Amino acid sequence: MTARRHSAGGEQEFAEERASLVRITFGPLIWAMHFLLSYAGAAVFCAKFPHASEHLDLLVWGIGLATLVALAGIAWQGQRSFHQWRKGNEDSLIEEDADGSSEDRHQFLGHAALLLAVISAVGVIYTALPAFLTATCR
Amino acid sequence: MSGCEGPQSVFRTGGSDAAQLEHLFLVMLAGAVVLWLGINGLFYYASRVSARPVSRARVEALILGGGVGLPVVVLTALLVYGLSIMPDQRAPGDGLRLRVTGEQFWWRVEYWPEGAEAPVVSANEVRLPVGRRTEIELAATDVIHSFWLPALGGKTDLIPGRVNRMSLEPTEVGTWRGQCAEFCGLSHALMAFQAITLEEAEFGAWLAREAQGLAPEARTAEGYAIFTAQGCGGCHALRGTEARGTVGPDLTHVGGRATLAAGILPMTADALTDWIRDPAAFKPGVEMPGYDHMDPDELATLALWLEGLR
Amino acid sequence: MTVADPERLGRPIPAAADRFAAPAPSGPFPPTPEMLAEPVPPDLAAAQEDRLRKAWKAPSGWRYWSAVNNSEVGVWYTLTCLAFMLGAGVLALLMRVQLAVPENGFLSADRYNQFFTMHGSAMMFLFAVPMFEAVSILLLPALLGARDLPFPRLSAFGYWCFLIGGVFVLGSVFFDAAPNSGWFMYPPVSLQQEGVGPDIWLLGLSFIEVASIAAAVELIVGTLKCRPPGMRVNLMPLYAWYVMVVGGMILFAFPPLIAGDFLYELQSGFDWPFFDPERGGDPLLWQHLFWIFGHPEVYIIFLPSIALTAMIVPTFARRPIVGYSWIVLSAVGTGFLSFGLWVHHMFTTGLPALSLGFFSAASEAVVIPTGVQLFAFVATLLAGRARMGLPMLWIAGALAIFTAGGLTGVMVAIAPFDWQAHDTYFVVAHLHYTLFGGFVFPVIAGAVYFYPVVTGRMLSERLGRWAFWLIFAGFNIAFLPMHLTGLIGMPRRVFTYPAEMGWGGLNMVSTLASFVIAAGFAVLVWDLLRAAWVGPRTSRNPWNAGTLEFVPDPDENWGTRSIPYVHTRYPAWEQEAFVERVDSGRFYLPDAPEGLRETLVTSVIDARPLQVLRVPGPSWITHVAALFTAGAFILPVYHLYWAAGVSSALAILTVCVWLYLSARSHPEAETKDAGLGLRLPLYVSGPSSVGWWAMWITMLGDATAFASLVFGVFFYWTARPDFPPEGAAMASGTLAVAALVALALSWALTLTARVVNARGRPWTATLCLAVAPLLAVAGGAALLGSVWLPDLDPTSHVYPAILWAIVIWTLVHVGGGIIMQLFCLVGLLAGDFTPRHDAPLWNITLFWHFLALTVLVTVAVVAGLPRLL
Repeated sequence: MTARRHSAGGEQEFAEERASLVRITFGPLIWAMHFLLSYAGAAVFCAKFPHASEHLDLLVWGIGLATLVALAGIAWQGQRSFHQWRKGNEDSLIEEDADGSSEDRHQFLGHAALLLAVISAVGVIYTALPAFLTATCR
Repeated sequence: MSGCEGPQSVFRTGGSDAAQLEHLFLVMLAGAVVLWLGINGLFYYASRVSARPVSRARVEALILGGGVGLPVVVLTALLVYGLSIMPDQRAPGDGLRLRVTGEQFWWRVEYWPEGAEAPVVSANEVRLPVGRRTEIELAATDVIHSFWLPALGGKTDLIPGRVNRMSLEPTEVGTWRGQCAEFCGLSHALMAFQAITLEEAEFGAWLAREAQGLAPEARTAEGYAIFTAQGCGGCHALRGTEARGTVGPDLTHVGGRATLAAGILPMTADALTDWIRDPAAFKPGVEMPGYDHMDPDELATLALWLEGLR
Repeated sequence: MTVADPERLGRPIPAAADRFAAPAPSGPFPPTPEMLAEPVPPDLAAAQEDRLRKAWKAPSGWRYWSAVNNSEVGVWYTLTCLAFMLGAGVLALLMRVQLAVPENGFLSADRYNQFFTMHGSAMMFLFAVPMFEAVSILLLPALLGARDLPFPRLSAFGYWCFLIGGVFVLGSVFFDAAPNSGWFMYPPVSLQQEGVGPDIWLLGLSFIEVASIAAAVELIVGTLKCRPPGMRVNLMPLYAWYVMVVGGMILFAFPPLIAGDFLYELQSGFDWPFFDPERGGDPLLWQHLFWIFGHPEVYIIFLPSIALTAMIVPTFARRPIVGYSWIVLSAVGTGFLSFGLWVHHMFTTGLPALSLGFFSAASEAVVIPTGVQLFAFVATLLAGRARMGLPMLWIAGALAIFTAGGLTGVMVAIAPFDWQAHDTYFVVAHLHYTLFGGFVFPVIAGAVYFYPVVTGRMLSERLGRWAFWLIFAGFNIAFLPMHLTGLIGMPRRVFTYPAEMGWGGLNMVSTLASFVIAAGFAVLVWDLLRAAWVGPRTSRNPWNAGTLEFVPDPDENWGTRSIPYVHTRYPAWEQEAFVERVDSGRFYLPDAPEGLRETLVTSVIDARPLQVLRVPGPSWITHVAALFTAGAFILPVYHLYWAAGVSSALAILTVCVWLYLSARSHPEAETKDAGLGLRLPLYVSGPSSVGWWAMWITMLGDATAFASLVFGVFFYWTARPDFPPEGAAMASGTLAVAALVALALSWALTLTARVVNARGRPWTATLCLAVAPLLAVAGGAALLGSVWLPDLDPTSHVYPAILWAIVIWTLVHVGGGIIMQLFCLVGLLAGDFTPRHDAPLWNITLFWHFLALTVLVTVAVVAGLPRLL
């Protein structure tokens, strides 16, 4: 009924953790901020900046910088989640049947957050691609 | 690809943009067929064939490789390919500029050769020189329309209050059909146009003719008198005459166009007669009123005269 | 071990208030194996069953329609969605007849346009989204081992609104009065339609959207707070994760459309020029707001089907799902990414190529989580011992169709290809492939799979196979050729086409096959109706599923016999003697000694038991409220503005009475024995209560709608060089600041009222709440004056119009805030709300937190921003 491999203190240590449910959304939120900034930045730049077409490299480097910042944030979040997940679970990439302990739930949220960080990183890199391949206000 | 060769088919390409998009499509289609067979074959194997449970390591490799690795590789490649052709498709024009304005349910077309101060006005037909990239400005007066000429390239919307731009580069001489692609009201289905691509010299000669006003002999014909008496000039223009209406299409060279009423009728005197008598019968919601009160002989004369304006 | 953590958000409550706080749960949790192994005496169990049966008995005779229990409302809701779907399908058949041959005269242009508009609108708003909510209302309590959802009357209210609104919208087809501009209603063409058509679309569907949001709130709170004890977030059935994600998406996706509808109604009813370029407006704003809703909507429709698949696949693989956290990641990831795709519906609107590129990229990125889900299902089948069955046949068909639709989706997400494919039959084919594969087939699979849960009977295997092959073959023969029809030039939404285009043959094939689809649906519907009476009775868990929804006895109305302690993902497979223990009443709440309906409330993350929640029984007040609300939305269609005003007032009054009656009924005791030695409080307030969570979630949606209006201001600023126009009048800064001060004070008094009341000084609270509405009225008046007095004419230009729109939005909310203050004032004066029973005060304070923020942004945008630009 209770944990196979867990210490008695586990229940207390990982009690509730509402914050870590919120934390799984950090990766996607960084993607969303980066996406919004890139889109709004390009829209305002092309619409409001005089001679926008001649100074496109400014925009491209701005988006490039934002991409680096976003990726750094996601990497930080990713390694935190990695540690949360990997503690005592070294054997598999696909977490298997849950045993109902709070430690298990703790690791699950770490795993979900890590995977979301990976997908967010791919999303951020994809968002940056047009800045380098399609840099035109036309 | 004989089944794909309709007058409005994306596979009957006559321009560099459309050819590029056709290539893009065929590449994606090949990839899609392979992937579809792969995924569904795998599902069939997993649900019907595979008898013993597969090892955990294999299953992990499948989720990682098939669910993450494969899509990331394929999509990155496709995205790089797709994004990098966008600047070509949106390249600026190299001289002549067209301005197409969408109206319910026809196209106002203006030709602005480089340095021109006033346009050459036409309607419901666009002519483009082969080998040149022509910029097309797109505007609308009433509702949103979309200018689509599949043989030459993709579509762009015409939006009230905005001027959109696209450019097309025909590579082959020919006649093509285009159509409004954004729902624009009752007769959205009946808002088409012809496109004719010409060698540059031929195009220049045509444009010079098109720029001229109504021929003097046409002004002395009976048809002109009927045209004036019926008040057609209130809505339609005949350049060089008192008829300066701008509500409807410019009719100075109407007989020179291949079609009537935005691509829905042939340019014949009979079709013109029927159209003038009751346009709404052909195009619900059209703004032009019917002239069924006209004397049939006068109407026939008018139609014949209009058909002769080339 | 005892239950600690009464789940308070923020700071702990000061000691002085403790004497009015809810008592903490006490007793052992989790239960020990010995406690669970102890048998229940049979005579005690029989007596408990009698009492439970009595408490949960559905009303009989004509009173049956006053039922609010999820098992009744869910069935009505599902059947209503099905009926609307069939209606919209008939429209599709009529359109197919018109297109069968070139230059056909079967339907007039106008009739055809009405039909495709209603086909799309009904399939989206009356079938796809509500079907998710209907199925979830029906199944979620069973999936979570709960007796009911936390707000049964809200579900019933939502259902009656949906029924009235749906009949009104779809019925317009019979009067030749339907909207005719396509289901996305692009202005200006939609503004040209005369008559009631556009208003039917706008107001009728806004009404349904409000009902949808209400259902989403209920489902989210249900998933967060009504899980069985011990079911931590990592043990939830995957369906519950999808409900949470999709509910969240509805919350953020629908409000932009509601904001768009609001602007649209101001334009069409009062000539405010939001979409009129002559006066500074821009038709593209509508497209942005519509698609910020419209694209997440696609995933709102698609994810629940994946959720159904995630329930069915493990059962037929005879093993737990492989990659549970991968699927959760995919659900959450898709939820986020789907908000970055909306411009791919606008690739041809002439936006800069760079902007289009961002949306192409995001549209491709969203494929990855979808791929993960599909491969996790395949992996589960491989890792298990797969068997077939009718539900799996439908799932296989869904996969074949959906992958084709997904792959053409990858194609049209590449902007340059979309320039060719957009608005052609290629897109028509693509979207039907995604919706049939990603919705219709999985929903049918779910219907076949869950049919025994609802009726206790099985559908016919033979008829099921007939239906499958007719629909599957018919669908592919009808829609596969449409890809080609589009590529050889046929635009969508054309009522006719000339013979020389060469589209005739393909269209004829599509039309003939569409009748094959219809025949398949006829077989399916016949079987669904027939089997409810004459289908073979089944054992309770005919597919041998591992999850909770097959545990309740379909013949009993009480839901689960006792609410189980759950510590695995597949308790029916993995927990000892699970079904017997549930059945014998070994777990929680096995009895209804007071004859009242009860369910358990647990904590968000770890599902620790927190409260025994009394849920209301049958009622007619929901019907009255739905009728008056319908009046408020439907009467303006006919320009009966006074009648609509009266109807709104009556709707508000009814809802206040409804809420007041439930707020004043306090439980007879502080705590109650929930079974297995656990004592739980009966009344809680603030963040422990489900009402507070519902308010919080509703306000997130409300804030999103407001944010969409503010987005409008920034949109006009970037899109239009004349925004704000030179020398335009400004809103009065002085009055705006005065409004801010007065409303901030009103907010502070509301907050103070809650705090001092909780400290045992209800009279001080009463005084605060007597003054607060006066300040709110003054603040509202000042806000109105700030745009009225400087003579900003909203019909002259979009700049004054959008400022007015924001101010009106805020004033309506101030009005709502005042009503809430008065509601609590009455409760305090009558002695119905006390320091102990203060849930309404918590809830209205939360509303006022959001209102204060709204006012702050309103003042900044209306009075501050134009001075900066």
